[in-house]
Parts: sequence; structure tokens; C-alpha cells
Amino acid sequence: MIAVLALLGGVILGVVLHPTVPVALQPYLPIAVVAALDAVFGGIRARLDGIFDDKQFVISFVSNVLVAALIVYLGDQLGVGGQLSTGVVVVLGVRIFGNVAGIRRHLFRA
Amino acid sequence: MSRGIPTPGSDSGRETEPLATSAPFGADLLTDLFVNPLDPGYADAADHKRRRGGPSSSGRLFGRLATAVALAFFGLLLSVAYQHMAAGAPGAERARTSLVREVTGARAESESLERRAARLRDQVALERDRVLGGGAEADRLRDLEAGTGLAGVSGPGMSVRLTDGPPEVDPVSGEPTGEDLGRVLDRDLQRVVNALWAAKAEAIAVNGQRLSTVSTIRGAGEAVLVDFTPVTSPYVVQAIGPPGMARRFESSRTAEQLRWLRDKYQMGVAVLEQDRIVLPAAPQPRLRYARPPEHTASPSPTGSGR
Repeated sequence: MIAVLALLGGVILGVVLHPTVPVALQPYLPIAVVAALDAVFGGIRARLDGIFDDKQFVISFVSNVLVAALIVYLGDQLGVGGQLSTGVVVVLGVRIFGNVAGIRRHLFRA
Repeated sequence: MSRGIPTPGSDSGRETEPLATSAPFGADLLTDLFVNPLDPGYADAADHKRRRGGPSSSGRLFGRLATAVALAFFGLLLSVAYQHMAAGAPGAERARTSLVREVTGARAESESLERRAARLRDQVALERDRVLGGGAEADRLRDLEAGTGLAGVSGPGMSVRLTDGPPEVDPVSGEPTGEDLGRVLDRDLQRVVNALWAAKAEAIAVNGQRLSTVSTIRGAGEAVLVDFTPVTSPYVVQAIGPPGMARRFESSRTAEQLRWLRDKYQMGVAVLEQDRIVLPAAPQPRLRYARPPEHTASPSPTGSGR
């Protein structure tokens, strides 16, 4: 409940404040979103599994976002930014799908 | 050689054992990723909690708060990313429109400058006529100006109107094949202009661009440039000349070629005789190398009288 409210609060905050993203950070925004999505789905699945842990969630969230951005940054410096971000998206996408499959098993028993 | 690269058959005992026990990220990293997507951290944390008991109530509260903050940040990230995408999607379009605006502005400015130049040129000619007193000399100058394209002229003549043919369509897919054989090329315009000169035309303009002795007609990619000013279809070549000009033009090889293009590729070709055509002056030619002769005492423009 608190989680959903916090999420909604964040969305509203974003809509109301309309913060501008610095140009240097803009390439990392989509990757950060995917990474955060992975952490969130992992958290949801863990909650359904009954093993959710706040510390674990926060750390995985923050590290996911930072590491994903770092990888893309490194890729950009090496000239393979596009390929590396594709790799990050693929890996995170696979994880998201796996976690969503787990959530689905919990919710629909299928 | 066989020692350098362990093959799966030879040293399998020594190779597989450490993999299975100590390295969770072995060759099966991808399989592991697919089978077990959840962070093992959650299971570890649950184990830890079972063995040591949960954190204190304050610690739990702090954890909740951190989770809420993280989720709020996630929401913020989502909405910001969405807004960013929504704003960024037409970015290319915006860049294009701003470029288009710049081009139109520059073109309008160039046109107004050209108009101003024409006005000033008229004024200069008027002043000069006044100074020269309107004698035979002044008349000669005016004739020369009209002939070289430095002054606007009017008179009877004809116009040739060329329009791009429809783009070639693939008969199977019904999509354009990309090669527009019916498109009017710079070459076609050059031929028409040359044929008109040959048909005794005295002044020619393409889409209102008067041609002078140093005018160019050339292609730049898809566009046709007349004196570095882009012109587009329909191309109207106007020429002032003697009455028989249209007939002479029609019997020229160029006209024959145009008719062939019209029949084969549906390029639009229309020749029209006109009683009165007004052509503007050509822009002042920028002569870089040619210089007037030093002694201007001789009235002969060729300077051969010396």
C-alpha cells in the first residue's frame, strides 16, 4: 500500500515539477528506467514469494540503476555504447520476463 | 599443443569439478539467468532473517521508508523518462522546421536584396542617362545592357513549360521504383535554353531567373540550380525573340527529344507563343578574372579598335 502510494507520489511529483534532465544524463535515462523496472519486478516477486526485504530491494534498485548507467557510460567511452546498452536491455529484459513469470505463477497459479 | 587448450574429452575431470562447486557464473551464466531470474540476495536475506530474527522495529521502519523513497524515485524516473521521450520524439521534426524557417528567411532576404539591387540599378541607369544627356551613346549603353541581361526587357516571345513526369511505379508492388526517368533534369533545361538561343532568342529567363552571359544551369542532387538559385517543377523557360522563334524551336532536335520524353515518360512539355513577355534583369555577374581594358578612351566595347 505504502509502496503504491510512494510510486504514485513519485509520478505526480515528476508531472508537477517537470524536472529537466541534464543533457549529459539523457542517454542513461531509458537504461536507468529498464534497470529500475528490473529491480521493481524482482521486489514484487520477492514479496509474493514472501521473502521481500527492504534493504535488499533498495540496494538492488540503486545498484541496478547505477551499474546500468555505468555500463552504458563505459560503452560510450569505448565507442560501443549502442551495443552495450542493447546487451544491458537484453539481460534486464530476460530477468524482467523471468520475474514476471514468477509473479504470474503466484497470481494465476499458471 | 594438446596441453595448451584443454579439450572437453581429455581433462574433463579436472575441468568440471571446480566449475560445479565454486563458480556459479560458469559457462552456464545465461542458462542460470533464464532459470533463476530472482536475485539470490532475497533468498539469502530471508535465510539470514530466519536464523537471526528480523531487524529491530526502527530498522524496519527505516527500511520501509527507504523502499518508499526508492519507489517514489522510480515513479519520478518513469514520468521524467516519459516526458523526455514525448518531448524528444519530434525533436528531429523541430530541427527540420527551424532549418526550413532559416532557409525561407534567408531566401526572402536574398530576394528583397535582389529587388533593392534592381531598383538601385534602375536608378543608376536613370542618373547615367541624365548625365549622358540621352544621346546615341546612352541608347547604345541601354541596348548593350538589355542584351547582356543587365537590364529588364520586354517584348514578344514564347515560353516552354516543363513539368516532372509521374514517378516510375513498380508494376508488381505499385510502389515507386525510385528512378524518376520523367523528372526534368538540369540537362533538359540546358538543352531547351540552348535551342532557344539557337532559335534567335534575345533574352531568356528560367522561372523568372534572367540568364546572362555567365549564367549556369546545373543539377545539385535532386534540385536544379540556375545561377545558384534552386528552381523547381514546373520549369518555365521564357524567351523574347523574333516571330518565327517558336516554329524554329519546334523543329529543333531538342524539341524532338522533349516530345520523345513526353511520350515515353510522361514529362510535361508545353510550348506557348506569347505576345508580350517581361523579363527582369539578371543579377550582376561577379567577374573574377575578366577585367575591362585599361584604356577606356575607345568607345568600342571589344577594345579592338586600338
